[in-house]
Amino acid sequence: MSLLTYILGLPFLGALLVLMIPGNFKFIIRSVAQLVTAIPVLLAVWMFYNFNSAPGVEFKYDQMVSWIPSLGISYHVGVDGINLGLVLMATVVAFAAVCVSNEIKVREKEYYFLLLIMIGGIFGAFCCLDVFFLYFFHELALIPTFIMIGVWGRGMNRNYATFQITIYLTIGALIALFGLIAVYLQIPVGSRTFDLMGMTNYFRAHPIALNSQHFIFPLLLFGFGILVSLWPFHTWAPLGYGSAPTATAMLHAGVLKKFGLYMLLRIALPFLPDAAQSWLDIIAVLCLGNIVYCGFVAMRQKDLNLLIGNSSVAHMGFVFLGFASLSLIGVTGALIVMVAHGFLAALTFALSGYIYKQTDTLDMKEMGGLLRKLPFIGCAMIMAMMAGCGLPGFANFAGESLVLFGAYSNFPVMTAIAIWGALVIGAIYMLRGVRNVLHGPLSEKWNGVVDASSAWRRVPYILLIGFLLVFGFCPSLLTEKIKPSAQAVLNMAQRPVQPLLKKAPKHLPIRVK
Amino acid sequence: MNDTKLAWMILFLPLLSAAAIALFTQKFRRLSIGISIASVVATFLMSVACFFQFHGVNVADSTVEWISIDSLSFEIGVHIDSLSLLMLLVVTGIGSLIHIYSSVYMKEDRAVSRYFASLSLFMFSMLGIVLSTNFLQMFIFWELVGVSSYLLIGFWYEREAAADACKKAFITNRIGDFGFLLGIIIIWSITQTLSFTKLQDLLHTSPWLLGGMATLSGVCIFGGAMGKSAQFPLHVWLPDAMEGPTPVSALIHAATMVAAGVYMLCRVFFIFTPDALHFIAYIGAITALLAALIAVQQNDIKRILAYSTLSQLGYMVMAVGVAAPGAAMFHLVTHAFFKAMLFLGAGSVIHALHHEQDIWKMGGLKEKMPVTFWTFLAGTMALCGVPFFSGFYSKDAILAAAWDNGWLFGIGIIAAVLTTFYMFRLVFVAFYGEARSESSDHAHESPKAMTVPLMILLVPSVIGGYIGISQMLAHFFVPHGGETGHEGSVFDPLAPFGHAPMAALLGFLAVLVGVAAAYTLYYKADEDPIPFKMRMLARMMRNRFYFDEIYAVFINYTHEGLAKFADFVDRWVIGGAVHQAHGSTESAGRALRIVQTGSLQTYTFLFAAGLAVVLYLVLIH
Repeated sequence: MSLLTYILGLPFLGALLVLMIPGNFKFIIRSVAQLVTAIPVLLAVWMFYNFNSAPGVEFKYDQMVSWIPSLGISYHVGVDGINLGLVLMATVVAFAAVCVSNEIKVREKEYYFLLLIMIGGIFGAFCCLDVFFLYFFHELALIPTFIMIGVWGRGMNRNYATFQITIYLTIGALIALFGLIAVYLQIPVGSRTFDLMGMTNYFRAHPIALNSQHFIFPLLLFGFGILVSLWPFHTWAPLGYGSAPTATAMLHAGVLKKFGLYMLLRIALPFLPDAAQSWLDIIAVLCLGNIVYCGFVAMRQKDLNLLIGNSSVAHMGFVFLGFASLSLIGVTGALIVMVAHGFLAALTFALSGYIYKQTDTLDMKEMGGLLRKLPFIGCAMIMAMMAGCGLPGFANFAGESLVLFGAYSNFPVMTAIAIWGALVIGAIYMLRGVRNVLHGPLSEKWNGVVDASSAWRRVPYILLIGFLLVFGFCPSLLTEKIKPSAQAVLNMAQRPVQPLLKKAPKHLPIRVK
Repeated sequence: MNDTKLAWMILFLPLLSAAAIALFTQKFRRLSIGISIASVVATFLMSVACFFQFHGVNVADSTVEWISIDSLSFEIGVHIDSLSLLMLLVVTGIGSLIHIYSSVYMKEDRAVSRYFASLSLFMFSMLGIVLSTNFLQMFIFWELVGVSSYLLIGFWYEREAAADACKKAFITNRIGDFGFLLGIIIIWSITQTLSFTKLQDLLHTSPWLLGGMATLSGVCIFGGAMGKSAQFPLHVWLPDAMEGPTPVSALIHAATMVAAGVYMLCRVFFIFTPDALHFIAYIGAITALLAALIAVQQNDIKRILAYSTLSQLGYMVMAVGVAAPGAAMFHLVTHAFFKAMLFLGAGSVIHALHHEQDIWKMGGLKEKMPVTFWTFLAGTMALCGVPFFSGFYSKDAILAAAWDNGWLFGIGIIAAVLTTFYMFRLVFVAFYGEARSESSDHAHESPKAMTVPLMILLVPSVIGGYIGISQMLAHFFVPHGGETGHEGSVFDPLAPFGHAPMAALLGFLAVLVGVAAAYTLYYKADEDPIPFKMRMLARMMRNRFYFDEIYAVFINYTHEGLAKFADFVDRWVIGGAVHQAHGSTESAGRALRIVQTGSLQTYTFLFAAGLAVVLYLVLIH
């Protein structure tokens, strides 16, 4: 059995156990959840450490069990450079999310059951190499998300947010499903398979016809784009994260949201290269919508969670810009941004969740001077905000700078604007957050606020910051593993546009003699 | 001989100290102070050792790969040549003195460990800039310097003013960094290299390599220096940065960090085209004049010094612009000595007066604080460029280089007059006359740990002009086509008069005019006569020519305006569309509900009616 099967199976096993434990044994339920998320972290770190990107086998740690051969569906897990970092990040964020779940005080059994199902779905979505299971696990993780926001969420807008996030994400997933089925149908009956490796091999030999590509690509781009909050389909994200319980926001913003990007890189770019190339300009424009427009929106927020939510949407723009560059530098950078942003988004939502628990508000006008009361949390918050505006030393800087270097030659003007978004707009909203929440005189009413003092309470924050710093100081840990796999994707995606198909006049029927 | 282990240790020791304090010794105040001071003194000693090790050796380079993808290679390394050696000595030397000074000045503070951790972080970042081998490394440490400055300006974050100032400093710097990073990416996209030495070789063999982008990229790179060295129009952050503790102002916002921009310009001097240099020169000149004018009407002792720093940085940038990077570096070094001394002197005064910073509430401090007074006076004379003080030689080198351009030279002389005027105004008002407040009446000389660094700094501030600083760089800039500082024998106090007599003479005259004017107006004066004589101008100077206000309006209509617009669109247009979709779906549902009543009679009726309509259409129509 592959290591990945254990990683992905443990949360489900945990969920099953939680179901069997009576609801008033809260401590045991928590311990089970903690345990089944802690072991995957260790396994993933071990796997990351031992991973070698030597050429040869494409996917490491893989395991394949045939399930429905007639449809070409099989359980297949494995990692290469592209999802290795994501799997590691997912396990760490999941562990941290369980750590901060002690804020939940009602219906704990149901909560932990749903949380573990969500975590299992997330692990599955990044470990699997079978499109059917990829999609299945993603949906499996989404449903608990909706329920958790609706039941354990907070704030006045909870119902509206639940409603909006559900509709948006369901529509996005549905459009993407159309696209995926259309890709699947491109393979002739008999050799049809959902297996990524099988599909890759097939499409490498038999490129999809140009008109089909042009039909399918937008379905995938916008379907998955909605899942990643691509501008202008982003309004669900800040609102949803603002109302979600901390752990849900961490898991969704940090990990699950990356699924759309991951699928674009796994499927849309390599299988539909010609269509992708004609869409690059549009992607580059849309990503500025994320980086600049959503940055501006973040500047105006008065609620800390909405600020963080909008900044998280803004960061997705760099990933799209990296994809649009279609260069090894840009795509590698985009993957690092994905990993780094996962840690960062989880960290910021965990911190804002902590502050909310202490102050019962996230209205920044009400706050101020909290650094005095919260030396540890405040310090972590400043580090997170600095990481968010691209300070060197944190992994985000490595990723964003690679994206900018990679994108400049194809999109000089867009890159210049993106630099403005990264350096100036990012700094403005992040520092406004610090200024309004942490700096300034302390108001009398926050005298009761207490810091995370015990070592155990600090673990999730330290863990997340630690990974940001490790990958920030040694980004080559990631880049060296990503490079070969990204190159393999790009070899397919950069293939010169099929000359015959492109030049063929569409209005003349082709006569075969 | 070319072993760079020492340089690597110099770079990473302060980081180690910062990490150790932040992680382990937060609660042990004395230990934190000890670790920080030990690390900085050790770096100073190692820098001296390094100086002797590499003395005479041209260049030593050592790099490790950080990221490498395709043709892009990010490296971190240490680069030793006479330029970085000189800067290394200045940064660690002044840094050591200021660490020691801080140990007394900040002793009572609640968060002294945080202070020293931030100082160590600053030392690490600054040394990273000094030792940079390539553009990206410089940018990385550039950002880290920015963040350590942010932490130190905002050290007393509970004060509104400090909290606002640190934010303003960071964001203003980021605007400059935007240009810097863009310039770096432009240059990389053409040359495919980021390393200074490789770039220099490339541009040496094919000078037109950058083509149409040459001037643009140069100006972009200069943008970084405009932010960090607070050049017009990004100068607004530096005076506000005085909200930080005074030793921080001395180290970061006077002697070292703000000089990083000038250092960077000298380091990459070879990429600037004549047009770019022209731009640089005029920006520097405008800054020098503007800041000197504003300083004339400031009353806060630290703000006067801050504006004088701005003005002197303008001088240095102008020197780079007139192709005299040697003179710029020379002035950078002497300025670092005497400005650090002046700030520490100001700190000593503020400390003695229990945090009183208004010079009109001082007075008569000459007898009460003799050491502070004499060192402050020496610093003032060095800053004004009185002959035989260090500033005279370096300022003269700049004026001599600007001689060919009448405008720049004229601005330089006017700024020199103004400098002398406002500095002696400060000295006369603060140290002479009667004590004007209770606290200045009871002032006492500061403790030894504060006066000793002053006395140590006195030495280079006075003799810095003829101990061979300019000679150390004499040959450095020659191959790049830059003009050098004056050569010749090391000890020659009268060299400027022989080398460029008119410039030296006019510079000397400027000092006399400035002192005379200050003496007539301010010697034993009880209030400032200028506001009564030149109402309008004085008010404008006092209000810093309303730059902050103008920027506030400008930003409100541009950046903030865009943000408001985006927020509006997000809330009402996109959000509205979502609402509409929601609303229309729901009303469609409501409409269809009316039809679906569940009553069989209605269904039959509707069915029959529909059938009738269809039949009518098909058969009769």
